[in-house]
Amino acid sequence: MLENSSFRQGIRDSALIILAVAFFGTAYGVLALSAGFSPWLTIFSSVVIVSGAAQFAMVGLLPAGPVAVLVAAVGLGLRHVPMSAALAGIIGPRPLGTRLRLSFVLVDETFGLTVRAANSGVEDLVAYKTAADLMLYSSFVGGTIVGAWFGGAIDPQVVGIGVLFPLLFLGIAAPMIRTRRDWIVVGLTVATSLVAASILPPAWQITTAAIAASIGGMAVGE
Amino acid sequence: MSDVVLVVLVALITYASRLSFMLRPRPAPGGALGRFLDVFPLALFMAIAATGLAAPNGSPEISPALAAALGGVLGAVVFRRNLWGVLVVGASFYYLTRTLTG
Repeated sequence: MLENSSFRQGIRDSALIILAVAFFGTAYGVLALSAGFSPWLTIFSSVVIVSGAAQFAMVGLLPAGPVAVLVAAVGLGLRHVPMSAALAGIIGPRPLGTRLRLSFVLVDETFGLTVRAANSGVEDLVAYKTAADLMLYSSFVGGTIVGAWFGGAIDPQVVGIGVLFPLLFLGIAAPMIRTRRDWIVVGLTVATSLVAASILPPAWQITTAAIAASIGGMAVGE
Repeated sequence: MSDVVLVVLVALITYASRLSFMLRPRPAPGGALGRFLDVFPLALFMAIAATGLAAPNGSPEISPALAAALGGVLGAVVFRRNLWGVLVVGASFYYLTRTLTG
């Protein structure tokens, strides 16, 4: 693989993001441990899920119960659907094994790099994305191992690491706000979230607020 | 439900969503479901952010997390909606408020 120039370019291009990804992995490790996960389950979750957003949501919503976690996982998964469609178009017909493998680490960072590589004429996009996936996966899991290893010595409440969880989602949502309808959905969601937080038990607050705001947003044209 | 089962279910849901079009390319859903799916991710992310920052302990309260929200919005504006801009400015406002309010 290392003789492949596209693979080497994938490694070079993703080298810039691995520190940031490792930081998120470490923060997740610390939070998961404080949420009650064992170190092994914390590491296992990063190995099999490979989604910072879904994993932060999982440990953040753990007190609200499994239904809230699973609804959030489905909602977060919807973000991957257009990425999956775009990647399928970019890489074209490939063997099933290749498509299964490339889908496993379909995250914002490697997707963005692959789209950019496709636009800049990289020859072997499968090798390029494989390299980016390997870099991201190893840094995220490595960061989680560090967090799970040292997390017991850190009190997230004292350090204030918990505030990163909602800020992360604010940061993910920000670039999605493009049209008048998006702004209306944001306003509706803030309002429904505040009402839900005032009158509903924690298990139902986020799901109810998001569904109510979505139904309101559906009625608004682009 | 045990935590291990929950982790496996979240992994399956995440992988299924990533595989959705890679497994068999097809048209995206239309109609009311399509319009709902268009807006639901944004609403969900904002609901998680708004609830976590305005009601970190389950009900609305004035806390340093509100300053983080303000900083996050400011970071989004200044750094053109860059994720790290939101995180760094938001976290800075949070720590500054915590320090000032003891």
